[in-house]
Amino acid sequence: MHTSFLRSPWFCGLLIAAFFAFVIFALIPVYVPRPAFIPGFAPPPDMWPRTVSIIGCALGLLLFVLALLGRAVESEALETDHAPKSVLITRFIGAMVVFIAYVLLLPYVGFLIASMALTGAMILLTGEKNYRYWAIGLTLLGPIVLQLVFHSALGTQFPVGILTKQFGF
Amino acid sequence: MAHDILYALQAVATWQNLLIMAAGIWGGVIIGAIPGMTGTMAVTLALPFTFYMEPVPSILLLVALYKGSTYGGSVSAILIKTPGTASAACTALDGYPLARQGKAGKALNMALYSSVIGDFISNLSLIFLAAPLAILALRVGPPEYFMLMLFALTTVAGVSGNSLLLGLISATFGLLLATAGEDLYGSFRFAFTDDMQAGLSVAPVLIGLFALPELLKLIVFRAAHKNEAAKLGDQKVSRSEFIGSVKSILRGSVIGAVLGAIPGIGPSAAAFFSYGEAQRTSKNGDNFGKGELEGIAASESANNGACGATMIPLLALGVPGDVITGVMLGAFMIQGLTPGPLLFQTNIHEVYMLFIGMLFSSVLLFFAGKVIMRGFSHVARVPQSLLAPVVLLLCLFGIYSIASSMFDVAILLIMGVTGFIMFLLNIPAAPFLIAFIIGPMIEENLRRALAISRGDPSVLISSPITMIFAALIILVVGLTVRREFLKSRNRKA
Repeated sequence: MHTSFLRSPWFCGLLIAAFFAFVIFALIPVYVPRPAFIPGFAPPPDMWPRTVSIIGCALGLLLFVLALLGRAVESEALETDHAPKSVLITRFIGAMVVFIAYVLLLPYVGFLIASMALTGAMILLTGEKNYRYWAIGLTLLGPIVLQLVFHSALGTQFPVGILTKQFGF
Repeated sequence: MAHDILYALQAVATWQNLLIMAAGIWGGVIIGAIPGMTGTMAVTLALPFTFYMEPVPSILLLVALYKGSTYGGSVSAILIKTPGTASAACTALDGYPLARQGKAGKALNMALYSSVIGDFISNLSLIFLAAPLAILALRVGPPEYFMLMLFALTTVAGVSGNSLLLGLISATFGLLLATAGEDLYGSFRFAFTDDMQAGLSVAPVLIGLFALPELLKLIVFRAAHKNEAAKLGDQKVSRSEFIGSVKSILRGSVIGAVLGAIPGIGPSAAAFFSYGEAQRTSKNGDNFGKGELEGIAASESANNGACGATMIPLLALGVPGDVITGVMLGAFMIQGLTPGPLLFQTNIHEVYMLFIGMLFSSVLLFFAGKVIMRGFSHVARVPQSLLAPVVLLLCLFGIYSIASSMFDVAILLIMGVTGFIMFLLNIPAAPFLIAFIIGPMIEENLRRALAISRGDPSVLISSPITMIFAALIILVVGLTVRREFLKSRNRKA
């Protein structure tokens, strides 16, 4: 992840130009519909996103060209715990899996339980070992306290889970 | 007039009124400091309570909540890099690095001093300059708005870090994302799902982009010093530090007062504008974004400076400048007061009472900030490995509570990952955010201006105001390009 290839300015420029080109040629024609009637001389809805995307594409290409000429600013070195690249990638994938699991599990176990699981998983992923009791306390009590505060102050009804609704959360 | 003012002073300076204002300020600071909870929420929640109150105390309560929440946004921005309100986004850029250096108290103090001064100047502008500022606001049409917002966008140059080009790319992403949702004429743009028809809310994008990447950095890189609890260290702002920031505070207050008086602009754009100007003109300009007190001063004086001024179009013209003043307009009407030019003839006592109450609220803001700061500054001592997951938790509950929307929660997480990827690619997040907030105003006013002029772009430089801003934009862009050129030459040397 901290190799020169993925973080190199030329790759970044190419990626950005490709993204904006995709927006111009694929997304705008399909996802920015023009109304049948536009009053007066008002510019159509796709005018602004198209203009912005063209500018973005041009800036991406400029970055690519400057990188090839050796005039782009190089990415700064990342401060890590000197773990190998594969470990860094595994940690990132781990965090993504936890985020996705949170969104997928939430309808089944409700906001409260899913948030407890997410907090616990995140503390584990940070590698925290010194504050076990604090970590357990925050994982279990943090979501309960917040749910009580938001429910009583704002009347927010947090989603209950299909599996847990008989318990009221 | 002196008699009227003395009468108003006597009527406002009762312990009941002071208590109401103090409660409003305290409540506002706490609400503003919680990510996802906004000043609009605070004012709306308090509205039902005002039904049973006298007209002036009820309006003062709402104003106090507004001011308190605007300052409160800076507390979480400084301590946990999670701006409680969009207008505190620039505060996070310098406040958080200072907190990590063990200067959380210093940053919070500077935010408080500049907020109070900005707020006080804004109140004075409301009292003495309401009429001329209201007339100026009336002269601002779509072309003027467009040029003003375009000028505010030049702030991007100041928050782009090492590469202006990457900053511009980041801003372009922000402008593009801001186009999602229903446009001026009812077309749904980039509505990939039904939820996206309403576009993306500022709060999940803002908080996701600023707060969550810190957690992901901690998880992935685990840099040893990142997990250390920051020491509280030096808390006071020294005389020289304060004097060094006075220029930015005063300029920020004036920017806030002028932009706040123009309906639809609000504290966020004022803060960006002021931050950009301070960065451009300060001798410490290169330190902005790395922990510069002057950056906090510029941002906070402007966003609180806009608070009082948003009352100018409301009181003088009966035009609410933003959602909060819209709610306040409702409160005025409920109390049998009709804001507008006639208010100054029919209810002059109430108007003076309101003015004096607002001056009192600036003083109360100072004391409330001082007390609350002591408790909050200890947050900086919590180890990052415990603090970051708790911030995520707070963000999840706060964001869900805004609109009871799981879509917003998903956007929060997606923006967190986006922010992390932007960090990996060396793309700064601040320009993205500025463009995302200002983008809709730029587009809307450009399209309105072109519709009015029947497609003639010369309308954008057709009045003295637009010409002044066009000249300023050219000047700033020219100076920025020159600075970048010199920087690039120095790097090579």
